[in-house]
Amino acid sequence: MELITIVYLIMFFFGIYFLMMFLILFYRHRKDIESYPEPKRFPSVSFIVPAYNEEQSISNTINALLAVKYPLGKKEIIVVNDGSKDRTSEIVKSFMKNHKEVKLLDKPNSGKADSINQALKIAKGELVAITDADSYPEPDSLFKMIGYFEEDRNVAAVTSRVLVKNTKNFMEKYQAFDYVVIAWSRKILDYIDSVYVTNGPLSIYRSEVVKNLGGFDTKNLTEDIEITWRILSKGYKTRMSYSTNVYTTVPSDFKKWVNQRVRWNLGGLQTIMKYRKYIFRGKNFFGFFVIPYVTLSFFLALIGVALFMRYIWIKSSIWIFSIPYFLRGYNPFRFMEFSLPITLLLILGLIFFILAIWYYKAAIQGQEIKNKGILSILTYSIIYRSFYTIPLLICLYKLLRKDIRWYTK
Amino acid sequence: MVYKVMQTRNKVFLETFAVTLMILIVGFAIGFFVESYRSNKIVQDYKSFEVESLDLKMQTYYLETLGISSCASAIRENFNFADRVYDEGLLIQKYEDESELNQNILLDKKRYVLLDEQLWINSIILKKKCNSSFHTLIYFYSQSPNVINEAQQSAISKTLREVKEERGNDIILIPIAGDIGLPSVESQLRMYNVSYLPSMLIDEKIVLNGFNAKDEILKYLQ
Repeated sequence: MELITIVYLIMFFFGIYFLMMFLILFYRHRKDIESYPEPKRFPSVSFIVPAYNEEQSISNTINALLAVKYPLGKKEIIVVNDGSKDRTSEIVKSFMKNHKEVKLLDKPNSGKADSINQALKIAKGELVAITDADSYPEPDSLFKMIGYFEEDRNVAAVTSRVLVKNTKNFMEKYQAFDYVVIAWSRKILDYIDSVYVTNGPLSIYRSEVVKNLGGFDTKNLTEDIEITWRILSKGYKTRMSYSTNVYTTVPSDFKKWVNQRVRWNLGGLQTIMKYRKYIFRGKNFFGFFVIPYVTLSFFLALIGVALFMRYIWIKSSIWIFSIPYFLRGYNPFRFMEFSLPITLLLILGLIFFILAIWYYKAAIQGQEIKNKGILSILTYSIIYRSFYTIPLLICLYKLLRKDIRWYTK
Repeated sequence: MVYKVMQTRNKVFLETFAVTLMILIVGFAIGFFVESYRSNKIVQDYKSFEVESLDLKMQTYYLETLGISSCASAIRENFNFADRVYDEGLLIQKYEDESELNQNILLDKKRYVLLDEQLWINSIILKKKCNSSFHTLIYFYSQSPNVINEAQQSAISKTLREVKEERGNDIILIPIAGDIGLPSVESQLRMYNVSYLPSMLIDEKIVLNGFNAKDEILKYLQ
């Protein structure tokens, strides 16, 4: 057996393994996927909204947060104006006139993580809810999330289901699809205590725990992943409330999408590097599942890209080296004869593809997205997912050029 | 308590492992079945070709030594056999490209190369004995080409197929892997001064190295 066949087989093994794991967990828990523990007490909550040049969206975000149902006097909203050059600060001040729970922290620009850390110092809440300035939680969000803290003292963070607000063009539509799939898979990981991202649009943390851990990492590109890993590495739990919806604005064009995904990839790698010493250590799933799973996913994606590039190289090189023969009378139509040989790898590839379609189908079942037909699933899995290659390659290029500061302390 | 919860949840990893293993086993089983079927088909076909080849050899032998067989019938049989061996050769090539589990296909291929050689010798004898005007076109190719040669070989084999389609009953086209490790093939290459793979040998006289367009080849087959 050739080495390349063995590489494919390893890829298929892990690919099928993870798909099956998600499907098994889903079918085991599908009846209670939307359930959440109802709270008996209502601890004080401080919303922290870091904002940089958010004049377009900040009003809607504050309105959404004001509409979040919670006992009077137990909710405060701290907007951190991170040195915005637009009207963000003025807009927040206008809200403060009529809503005493809205507070403004004006500071020079220092990044999102530092903005949150500054706000943590003045936040009075037992819990802190971090919300992006372009995200809009539903009114019942807190009610569906805070019960998890009461249920288990060891829970330090609870995250929500992020859905897409803007769904007009192709990129937006398929990001909406993507977010539904991501949220679903995150909930599935909740069943094995492995929620490894508490997202930026809406996640709630125990203030005391976050403060004791030193706040958010200002040097990490994805501070939300990093804080989650720090929480997990200290033995705390993170949970996901699948019935809590928060709507966010996603990049509307390809370039912005690539930039966002490059940041996610690089931040993820920074986090892996920082916590690599925890692999196969500790008493929870963090060392035994989360780190190996995320690391393996990254490497499998890289190998997948390498295999894809190899395939393209083989096909295109024959094309390129055939050009002199085309010029000398070789019939190009003969060249384009195509056959799909039935091989072991094709069979395994088909099995993997069918499982992936099943996985996506399970993920979007009953979800609020426009197109849920097989054509949309195929477009998502074949076209949109193949876009993932581009940020991954840019990320790799940046790594090779050392265009990233490693923070591994 | 934590360990107990982990143990219960660990089950899912083992269960998934078992299911994954089952899926892979099913996939492998289908893969083995498909490849074994092909391998068996090649072996079965070879057996029947071997008999036909011997029969052909006997016909030529009778014609050569006793003069009791008809030239027309022997040439016709030779052509029919050549066409079928050529098709089988393409099939083996296809199976070889697709084979991921069974590496023994190379041995089967060597057998067919030997059959091809027998066919070639038989054709040479028939041409001389019957004073026939059909052409032999031997295509020596590389078993393990580099990327550049692979493009060239792909162009040549497809062009030769066109030549064969156009001049079907006039040409015996015999592709032979020149670097398959058979001493008899190597001696033929030396005998006809074929030093480059891929090359074509037309009527045991003209050697064309590398790619030649269909029209150029046809010129030599007038």
